[in-house]
This record gives sequence, structure tokens and C-alpha cells, in this order.
Amino acid sequence: MELTDTEQQFMEKAFEYAYEALAAKEVPVGCIFVYKDEIVALGRNTVNESRNATRHTEINCIEQVTDYCRDKGLDLGAAFRQVCVYVTVEPCIMCINALYDLGVHSVVFGCKNDRFGGQTVFDVGSVRQAPTRIKGGWRAEEAMNLLKEFYKGVNPSAPPSKVKVRGKKT
Amino acid sequence: MNAPKRLKLETPTKPTLTPILADELYKELPLIDVYVGKIKDPKTTSKVVVELNSVLPIPELTHLKRVRGKEILLFPKGDNDEDDCLTVLKQKGFDVDLIESQVRVIAVAEIPPKVRKQYEVVHKLWPCNFHSNAYWEKLSTNSLFSDSELEQHAKFMRIAIDICDICSVRVSAVVVDPVITSVVGFGFDQTSDYPTKHAVMVAIDEVARSQKGGVWPRHQNYDKIQSLLKMKHENLQFGFSTSGEGPYLCTGYSVYTTCEPCITCAMALVHSRAKRVFYGVKSEKGALGSSCKIHIVENLNHHYEAFAGLLETECRAVSCEQ
Ligand SMILES: [Zn+2]
Ligand SMILES: [Zn+2]
Repeated sequence: MELTDTEQQFMEKAFEYAYEALAAKEVPVGCIFVYKDEIVALGRNTVNESRNATRHTEINCIEQVTDYCRDKGLDLGAAFRQVCVYVTVEPCIMCINALYDLGVHSVVFGCKNDRFGGQTVFDVGSVRQAPTRIKGGWRAEEAMNLLKEFYKGVNPSAPPSKVKVRGKKT
Repeated sequence: MNAPKRLKLETPTKPTLTPILADELYKELPLIDVYVGKIKDPKTTSKVVVELNSVLPIPELTHLKRVRGKEILLFPKGDNDEDDCLTVLKQKGFDVDLIESQVRVIAVAEIPPKVRKQYEVVHKLWPCNFHSNAYWEKLSTNSLFSDSELEQHAKFMRIAIDICDICSVRVSAVVVDPVITSVVGFGFDQTSDYPTKHAVMVAIDEVARSQKGGVWPRHQNYDKIQSLLKMKHENLQFGFSTSGEGPYLCTGYSVYTTCEPCITCAMALVHSRAKRVFYGVKSEKGALGSSCKIHIVENLNHHYEAFAGLLETECRAVSCEQ
């Protein structure tokens, strides 16, 4: 897949949060939301620290964007329709439906989500209207390796492999 | 003249609900055409069966018996017509003189029946093996719950309805630990706060709070609502059990919500490992029967039971469209 330099930088940022999640022993998924070329939300999964299995990075970011819009006096609906989402893993069924509800402009993701993916495991777009454009496959192997490392329970914050993998792909 | 009226009062209608089943538990079984021949001499039946099983086993149809009286199931009909059947048998090395030259095609069950109702239909077409599963039978015949259990479920749905009334919202959700019949947490629609704060999502966060987690500040009227509910419902318990390994997410919990959860909420309940979800009114966007069945998506690592239509009329009066 092809991404512009700016988009690549956004994905790089999302990956930073995925690595942070792994270090924090959370499912390593990182995400940023961009509105008019500005990052308006960023973060990672916080499921374990919140003991709430719904605290995926996308849900966390949706709330940050809401705060941002309130702060700036922006119309929430209109703003979300211009939001581009960059996330290291295909959004799950729950999150992609939330993003469809808000009508975000586009979603760019890294690897497929074999466990919960909103396209891969159950195609949410097949049962509802969804204006959102979705494309995946950016640094997919790296994103998948992060997940594998997490599910293996391997020490997440080993710097050499991190540096190596990231150096190779970007 | 008053008799019928009094009779009505003495027998309050018992609550009803409808299990939202996987297609395989209620749909008619798909059929497949097979060739059926007639054995010339009944004494050779076992010989014919052994020979056919060795030259032409049908691994995909092991739920079917090979023989019915003098009739024998030969093999599934492909694209070739009936005349080719004997040729195929000959090619495989089967002694076609053992059966009549006349072969017919019949439709039989393509997959094994899961429940008795399906079995009874397809067994008439061709003898079929059937292993009854007590749980599936109860679920598919909607007899999982006793009258008193139904009453208990209705009681918790009434709590959800009361929350809608108290808060003037259309959707609420109550999470219950059925082992100790206690409300662990509840929530109601607060989407004006965050678009993610659907009733079910708020209730899930309340459960997280009971486990020393949670992210959203508790609604300012939460305690007030709780005391109103306690006043109205005698013996209503709030709180969670810490016995055993302690609670983990919504494991083992039942959820009562006035309106059919959307895909986001239905999947949130998968992530949270809920055990059962009861709802009142169906919704166009609903994900537990209406637009899809998220609770039983095959490739998910957790499934839960879903029941529709509990106190539907009352829920409709307060509810819907999230
Ligand atoms: Zn998600
Ligand atoms: Zn919802």
C-alpha cells in the first residue's frame, strides 16, 4: 500500500503508542486521530489499567476528539466527518462500528485483526451504511509481531528488536 | 359478570422472551441430492454395505444411515445424470449386479440435525443419526427458564425501565450477578456527554469501577437513583461477590437493557465476557438479532446468550433508537 510522507509520519506516531502499550503490558495497539492535518487525539489501549475491556485506543481517542471539539467550539458531527484515523491494527467490531457511527473520513491501519477485526472476523460494513474509507497493510508485519509478542508474554520493552524492526520498515 | 375480570387479575400473564439463536439451531437443514439404489437380494445387504463403504465411503454424510429397508444410499449426485450412476459404481469396482438397474435421486439432509425439530423433518427423508443436546433443545424450544426464573428476569428488566423513567432517558442497562441476584452496576444513555456513552458502555464501566477500575466519573445522580430503586423494589440487592477468584470483567453476569444493543455495545459485551443479555425492544440497528447476531459470530473467542422481547411493551413505552 502507498502512503504519503505525512501519512507515514502519522502511522509512525501510532506505532510509538503501540510500543508504549506493549511496555505497559496492554494489547499493543496505538492510534492517532487527525483533523485538518493536526493530531487531535492519540493514545493506546488501556484495557488492563481500567479493568474495562472496551477501553480500546479508538474509543479513548473518540473521547479526546470530543473534548477537543468542545474546547474549540467545533460542531462534533462535522468535525468527525473530517477525521482520519491511523491505527496500527485493524479496528475491532466494536470500534469500527463506533467510527462508522461518527462517519469518520478514513481509517488507515497496519495489520489485520484476526481475533476481533471489524472486517476480517465480521464485516460490519456489510450490515450497515458506512461512508468511511478503509485501507490496511501499512507496516503490517511489524504490527503483527507486536501482537504476537504480547500474546507470547515476551518482555515487551526489549529495545534492540524494537530499534531493528522499526529501522527496517521506515 | 365480574368473574372473568377477577380471573384475569388472579392470573397475571407470565413474562415471555425469545432466545436469539444461531441459524443452525432453528433453520431448516440444507438438503443434498443423492443416488439411491435397490438391493436385489435382502440377504446380500450387509455385503453390499461393506463393499460400498470400502469403494465409495461418503465421509461428508456420516450422519446418514447407508440403508433403508431394501434401499441403499449410493453417493451424492454430482453433475452427471442418473444413467451415469451405475458407470461410476462399476469404475469404482462395485459389483452392480447386486442392485437393481433402476436408480433414483432423493434429497437428504446435507448436515447433521442439531435439534429434534430438524431431526424429525430430515429423518422422514432418509434415516439419520441424531444426538440430542439437552441445552440446545431447551434453548431452541424456549424452555430454558422456569416460571420463577422468568419472573426474576422480568424483575431486573423492570429496574432498567425504572431507571429510564427516573432519568428521562430511552435506554438503560443493568448488570446483574445472577449467582447472588445482585445489581453490580447500571448505566443509562449519556451520549450527550460522549458519543461512546451508550447505556451498555456506561454499565460496563460501572462494573469496571466495582473492580477498582473504570474511566468515566460516576453520574452525579447514581446514588440517588440507587436509593429510589431500593425504595421501590423490596429486597433489591446492589454489590458484587468477591468469592472465589473474584470478578473478572462481566464474566458470569447477566445484562438487562431496554433496547437491543447496537454493534458497538454488543461487541463490548463480547469483550467483557457477559453470560446473558436480555433486551426489551428490537432496534433496526440492533446487533442481537435485527441487523446481525454479534453474540454468536463463529470466529469470536467468546459467545453469550441473547434473549429478545422481555417486557417488550413496557420497554417500548420508554425506549428506543440509540
Ligand atoms: Zn476495538
Ligand atoms: Zn450501543
